[in-house]
Amino acid sequence: MAQGYAKMEGKPLAMMCHGTVGLQHASMALYNAWCDRVPVYVMIGNIIEGDKRAPGVEWVHSAIDPAAIVRDFVKWDDQPASLQHFAESAVRAYKIAMTPPMAPVLLSLDAELQENPIIDPESLRIPKLANVVPPVGDAGALGDAAKMLVTAENPVIICDRLARSPAGISRLVELAETLQCAVVDNAGRMNFPSRHPLNQSFRRSVISQADVILAIEMNDVFGSLNAFSDRITRASRPTVKKGAKIVTLGLRDTYMKSNYQDFGRYQDVDLAIAGDGEASLALLIETVKRLIDPSRKSIYETRGKKLAAAHQAMVEQTKSDATLGWDASPITTARMCAEVYAQIKDEDWSMVGTSIRLSWPHRLWNFDKPYRWNGVSGGAGVGYNLPASLGAALANKQHGRLTVSFGGDGDFVFAPGTLWTAAHHRIPMLYIVQNNRAYHQEYMYLTAMAARRSRGIENAHIGTTLTDPNIDFATVARGFGVHGEGPVTDPTDLAPALKRAIAAVKSGQPALVDVVTDPR
Amino acid sequence: MLPFKRAVAFALAVLCAGGITIGARAQDAPAGDIVNGKRLYLNSNCFTCHGRAGQGGAYNGPAPAVAKTAMPFEGFLGQTRNPSNDMPAYAAQVMPDQAVADIYAYVQSLPGPREAKDIAILKD
Repeated sequence: MAQGYAKMEGKPLAMMCHGTVGLQHASMALYNAWCDRVPVYVMIGNIIEGDKRAPGVEWVHSAIDPAAIVRDFVKWDDQPASLQHFAESAVRAYKIAMTPPMAPVLLSLDAELQENPIIDPESLRIPKLANVVPPVGDAGALGDAAKMLVTAENPVIICDRLARSPAGISRLVELAETLQCAVVDNAGRMNFPSRHPLNQSFRRSVISQADVILAIEMNDVFGSLNAFSDRITRASRPTVKKGAKIVTLGLRDTYMKSNYQDFGRYQDVDLAIAGDGEASLALLIETVKRLIDPSRKSIYETRGKKLAAAHQAMVEQTKSDATLGWDASPITTARMCAEVYAQIKDEDWSMVGTSIRLSWPHRLWNFDKPYRWNGVSGGAGVGYNLPASLGAALANKQHGRLTVSFGGDGDFVFAPGTLWTAAHHRIPMLYIVQNNRAYHQEYMYLTAMAARRSRGIENAHIGTTLTDPNIDFATVARGFGVHGEGPVTDPTDLAPALKRAIAAVKSGQPALVDVVTDPR
Repeated sequence: MLPFKRAVAFALAVLCAGGITIGARAQDAPAGDIVNGKRLYLNSNCFTCHGRAGQGGAYNGPAPAVAKTAMPFEGFLGQTRNPSNDMPAYAAQVMPDQAVADIYAYVQSLPGPREAKDIAILKD
């Protein structure tokens, strides 16, 4: 929940759990948040002194170093030994978590310290918090990048976790419009409007035509600039043009850990600028504007018109693609997403979750505001989507937005109790279960492995499908006190079910719609 | 959809329902059995990436639509044996040429795209 909340609200949610078993449960959620560069403020309990622990459970719930199991994927942790130490570490933890690149922090809090009387309250003080101003990239380096961009024939901007605030979106739009260049948004955050004519996110061929690539706040630059074959002999090849200049801007190079390899393969680049992407864009835009030769403006305009035409053609093709299997049952994911959008497009909607590779919303919907989208899990750990969506819904509740989220059936079954939290705290959210009755990524992978070995292709469903019995998610939802619709198998039943569910959400309740879909 | 295309789609649907063997592309494909092709398409898990309606999907990357594919049979067979991307290769020992021809006939029998402008909720 904390991950989804922080991405929507721009500040961390406090999270408390047991120091041993609770933290073991929470560890994958923390891993997701760390990979996603999201601040989460975790507090765990511990009983440091052995003679203070009650026999039994307090011993199995105590540890010498409880944070050890998550230290590889939190930015900082501490176990304060006094109340003043706690006060200083509490403020320090917040400051560290909120300094880009943001990440979870953890405080292990001794039970004696928490529960014993304060002996000398006058001696204690809460330190002043001054958040760190995000660093702007070096002016000279940004100037070099600007020179490359203004003289390029086909500059392309790629971004991932760029926008921390509405300013990030408007600055990226300003830079792209100034250059009339293509933007490929990997959608780690709500970075760029989906219907902007320069948005070429689903036309990645622009990357192979680029002579200058500016990669902003990208975690995996290599993955975006190379093709990789998942075959017996694994191989990769660059998809960028030979001689293309690659510039990176972001804080990825300034924060690295060793054990978990989320940093991706090393990518050759020509200029690596250490600076917060959003903060640095202002200076980059200013420099680009100063360097633009007025005689090149017509070239920019022509480039922009070509990109706009290509964007429009892509939109038309997407709509045509969406019609395939329109009336089919199980329902196609395109039909499901089109039906949902038809019901919410006139609301102040916010989409806060998606199942694996469900790209139809970003291809069909108008993502035009900062809160329309907040990215994915980061660590691809199952069980993210439902609780993270509820965290985002909690943030959205105070702004009166209609929260909508898609989640897979496989992901759902890891944390269904989230629905009770939603019902108990009256957190409105429209949750669509994309119920393809499988851990479908694994189903496809086993099929690929079986085909590779020329045996057992027909057995790939074993252990990967969620059938016999089929899960009735609407009934599960009702059991937790949440409005439930479905299972919807006929596409013509979808709009009425969504209308009923949205009416429940608008009355302040969570609602779930179980849509039985084709795989992807 | 153009009237002609609609008529062709309808004719194919009728043929499919009757389990009649047709040449999927008479000019360049061996005769394929649509009913057996559907069985193979589902049992060999083609649908897991390309969708039951042949609408396409995603595996490691996009899996293209195959409904009424414009790809000639030779290309379809070649893609099955030696795929150009992350699609698994299906060897002849698990999917003989005739099986590929049956699957080809089946995907050719699936309805292609409709006119998006005729679907109200796709207008926005």
